[in-house]
Amino acid sequence: MTGALRRFAASYARSLVAYGVVALLWVVASWSLPGFGVYPHLRYIVELAAVIGLVGVGQTIAVIGGGIDLAVSAIITVTALVLPMVSFEADVSGLGAIALSLAVACAIGAVNGLGIGYLGLPPLIMTLAMATILQGLLVLIAGGSAISVSNATLDWIGTTHVLTISASILIWLAVAAVCLFWLHGTRSGALIFAIGTNPLASRLSGVPIRRLTLATYVISGLCAGLAGLLLLSMNGQGYVGIGDPYLLSSIAAVVLGGTSILGGGGSYLGTIAGAVLLVSMTALITVINASEGWRSLILGGLILGMLPLSGRDPSR
Amino acid sequence: MTAPHAVLAARNVSKAFFGNPVLRDVSIELLPGRIHALLGENGAGKSTLINLLSGALAPDRGEILVGGQPIAGLTPREAHRRGVAVVQQELSLAAHLSIAENIGLGSYARRGGLIDFGRLAASVETIGAKLGLIESPDTPVGQLPLGRRQIVEIAKALYIKPRVLILDEPTSSLAAPDVAMLMRLVRELRDEGVAILYISHRLNEILDFCEHVTVLKDGAVSADRPLAGLDPDGLVRLMVGRDPQNLFPPYVSHAGGDIVLQARGFRTSAAHDVDFELRHGEILGIGGLVGHGQEDFMMGLYGAVPAAADEFRVSTLGRQARDAPFSKVAEAAAAGVAYVPADRRKEGLLLPHTIDFNLLLPLFARHPGERRRRAQETSITERLARRFGLKGDRGRAAQALSGGNQQKVALAKWLPLEPAVLLLNDPTRGVDVETKREIYAALQEMAAEGKAVVLLSTDTPELVHLCERVMVFHNGRVAAVLRHGQATEEAIVAAAVGVRKAPESEAT
Amino acid sequence: MSSGARLYGRIQWRRNDGLGGLFVVLALFAFVYVILFPGILGLNAASKFVQGWFPTALVAAAETIVMLTGGIDLSVGAMVSLGSVVAASTMQGPLGLFGGVLATLALGGVVGAAVGAFVAIGRYPAIIVTLAFSFVLRGVALLLMPRPGGFVPASLSDFLAGVYPTTAALLVLLVVLWKLFQATPLGAGLIAVGDNAEGAYRSGVNVAAARLSAYVASGALQACAGLYMAAQTGSGDPLIGEPMTLAAISAAVLGGVGFLGGQGAMRGALAGSLLMSILINVMFFLRLPLVAQYIMQGLIIVVTIALPSVRAAFRRMR
Repeated sequence: MTGALRRFAASYARSLVAYGVVALLWVVASWSLPGFGVYPHLRYIVELAAVIGLVGVGQTIAVIGGGIDLAVSAIITVTALVLPMVSFEADVSGLGAIALSLAVACAIGAVNGLGIGYLGLPPLIMTLAMATILQGLLVLIAGGSAISVSNATLDWIGTTHVLTISASILIWLAVAAVCLFWLHGTRSGALIFAIGTNPLASRLSGVPIRRLTLATYVISGLCAGLAGLLLLSMNGQGYVGIGDPYLLSSIAAVVLGGTSILGGGGSYLGTIAGAVLLVSMTALITVINASEGWRSLILGGLILGMLPLSGRDPSR
Repeated sequence: MTAPHAVLAARNVSKAFFGNPVLRDVSIELLPGRIHALLGENGAGKSTLINLLSGALAPDRGEILVGGQPIAGLTPREAHRRGVAVVQQELSLAAHLSIAENIGLGSYARRGGLIDFGRLAASVETIGAKLGLIESPDTPVGQLPLGRRQIVEIAKALYIKPRVLILDEPTSSLAAPDVAMLMRLVRELRDEGVAILYISHRLNEILDFCEHVTVLKDGAVSADRPLAGLDPDGLVRLMVGRDPQNLFPPYVSHAGGDIVLQARGFRTSAAHDVDFELRHGEILGIGGLVGHGQEDFMMGLYGAVPAAADEFRVSTLGRQARDAPFSKVAEAAAAGVAYVPADRRKEGLLLPHTIDFNLLLPLFARHPGERRRRAQETSITERLARRFGLKGDRGRAAQALSGGNQQKVALAKWLPLEPAVLLLNDPTRGVDVETKREIYAALQEMAAEGKAVVLLSTDTPELVHLCERVMVFHNGRVAAVLRHGQATEEAIVAAAVGVRKAPESEAT
Repeated sequence: MSSGARLYGRIQWRRNDGLGGLFVVLALFAFVYVILFPGILGLNAASKFVQGWFPTALVAAAETIVMLTGGIDLSVGAMVSLGSVVAASTMQGPLGLFGGVLATLALGGVVGAAVGAFVAIGRYPAIIVTLAFSFVLRGVALLLMPRPGGFVPASLSDFLAGVYPTTAALLVLLVVLWKLFQATPLGAGLIAVGDNAEGAYRSGVNVAAARLSAYVASGALQACAGLYMAAQTGSGDPLIGEPMTLAAISAAVLGGVGFLGGQGAMRGALAGSLLMSILINVMFFLRLPLVAQYIMQGLIIVVTIALPSVRAAFRRMR
């Protein structure tokens, strides 16, 4: 029994460290800064983390599978800008427009997945190319202006609290639960780990790599789309560049959570902590009036600091 | 005590990987002007010993002595400086550098901080002449075929004017005239006083050529003596420790069932015009020298490489459904075909994952839509572990297992799918003797259960003792199909090298 | 000519293998450019073109050196920005012009050594290490100079980015230095490490030293680019390098440099960066919107990498 416990601890140890750092940060900040540790403020942090966390779902799955998704920021922006375009009068609840925009996000993810899974393009290249093309198209379509949005469902999400917990946080929890269940409780989820560890051995063992890769990037697109809609519910308007900060944030959250960028291991549990850690740090810096420079510097330092936990390259 | 004039020696060295001992208290002495053979089955520790002697690895215990002096922390660079050169099976060449740059890599003559291309050009010419290296020295090595690259690797070893030359299976990819050239060269070096360590599986080569032999068995030295008075059987006895017959289970034929797989005109990029049929309960052997298309043939059968055929029938898919070979692995797996690859570390297993996970992988891959159920999974893996003798904590990483046990996992993992056909690519390469016996017994068991086994092997005795029929490949075609009894080692090797055999009807 | 020089010459000539297509395309686009804007042939316009191209060429070279060893550098843009900031900050102080130049280049080398220590000695994945460094360097640049400013002496600006053919000379110097480096054991070892690290180790190459030196050289080149851009604009800018990471990788990829290591040549990357510069200029003069550049860069990456994969995929399907 202790063997199993030890192994569980070993595989999730890296995620636990991330939670530890978050806890430490919260304790220190609450103690030294009045107003940091109050419930509304912490809840606000988690609300903001929800966006990163949602993008992080897709990013975590992509990274565990040995890939990466550099198109997430573009997909966030696309979804946020597409929603007003697909809104129609008959759609009173706003769900129709939401479904359509998410469909667009999934479609973009599908293109990525087809290129990577079926044409064998390296994930870095495919998603990077997709991102640059999308950025260009976005500017052509939307120009520089912000587009306001009125969508019943999104408005509801942005303002509702259930038992003092924001609807956005609940949505994040729900998606997180599904992700964790899939990765750790189903066979197909386990296969993602296999693919990330050794794609050749997986293929020869009969793993349907192409289908799973397609699914991975569709999910990543979907999650980025969800994040985009969540952003809309918070801001009320979408604009070109709204998704930009979330690309590096999602990767940072994954890495800070202890998942190895090389693939094959890790867990979304860690990404959750990573997302909260990122936002907490930003909040801390804002509160002490430090500049963007400090934020960038500390973020980089944190990632470097977590490196000994995320795994090295075993080959020469 | 080390003889005062041993050029390179290992003294009581031990080495373990992930807790698995690979070398135990091994000592060996290389004397100048002597061709010293190193024998042992795959997995006996030969490669590790070479890595220790050349400085690529450090021993856990014991010492390496160069010129009689123990050198702590020997690195490849230092070993080169002291005249130790190695030609290993896995080439150390850089594909995008030229032949000349590769030959001098790591030991360039310098002139004012730069590579002295003049001296390099001269050396490359001299060495190249000796080795028959006719290609232009500016050719990027990646453009050469494997056999030529092996010559460049040998040239690289000669460049440092070695006092010790270690050759690990140097003739495995060489064409016949190059083999003869190499033999000549090695004899010349021996006459010049170089110490030679020669590893090969070709027993006749060893007897022809070497003067002294050290035999490794399961990581320890089992013999260290001059070769005088030994014949091939004697050598094998030294390696295996018993008469080769006891290694194999008594031959029983379980063939005779219906045809499960049949093809006419089957072809891949390296194999052509193969007609064959496979029956339930049969163990079909596939032999031939490395690289004559048999591996490609097997991969084509599995759908892992593109293949075509005039006719292709698989009985497991109802009434002979298919007409074309499998276009991808998933199709073959769905039709009940399993494949155990030759390189278990890179192709057969997920080393960092647990033994249990590895055992369950094909099952998960076939039926990915289900939840994971701990109890169900444990019962499956326990059954497999019992059947195949896998002991110990199965929550360990597969990396922690010995080569033999890793091979068992690579084989066992297919059984939950109840495959009808098992394609095995050199399944006992690098496996210790005990495990080999277990694997052979397991194969017979599976044949008895009605499964069809295709056994591709570079170990000819395996083909001789286990198989109902043996298809021998030569130059991409089936040179001979020999029945059990007809399929002697001589017959298989003869067919493999292309010697015309008497037609089957004449054999007794 | 001595046999040594002959061998070296032939080896260098063989490095053109596989680049024929790129050179043809480059010649084609150069031709188109000249047809559209014959004024480019004049000394003034040509000078300006080379000055616009130079930073991209430098970062393409920097990225190539790292990619040849099998690594990657995502911090190029941040280092360039930091270089420009440091250059513009140090030249007015006690260090003066030359001190400032030396300080900037030294900084690039030191940062490169730090990155190299993580990657080559610590064996951490280059993609994450350089990503983290890009944050760190960006932060430092913003802290040193929150808004564009600083001071670059007019003499330096005139020398580097003015009338004199300094830039062209510097380009030639870059090529010469690289050729010299390739003729050293370390330079050859660098490519061997990218091709076959295990094999290079067994050959006696110091793998860690080769990788480390690649990152140091790369860092110095990136700082150089930052210094140059500061001289061009006359001030430092903490965000000036943002688009350069993508540009560097695009140019290298376009030039045939592979991600796995060993494959590719400096001349390919330089040709790639030149081609990109020409395309950007053509698009600018045709009054295409800035976004067209992004689309172009994306398409370049896709086409260059995808083409062989797509062809292989179609062959398999047939």
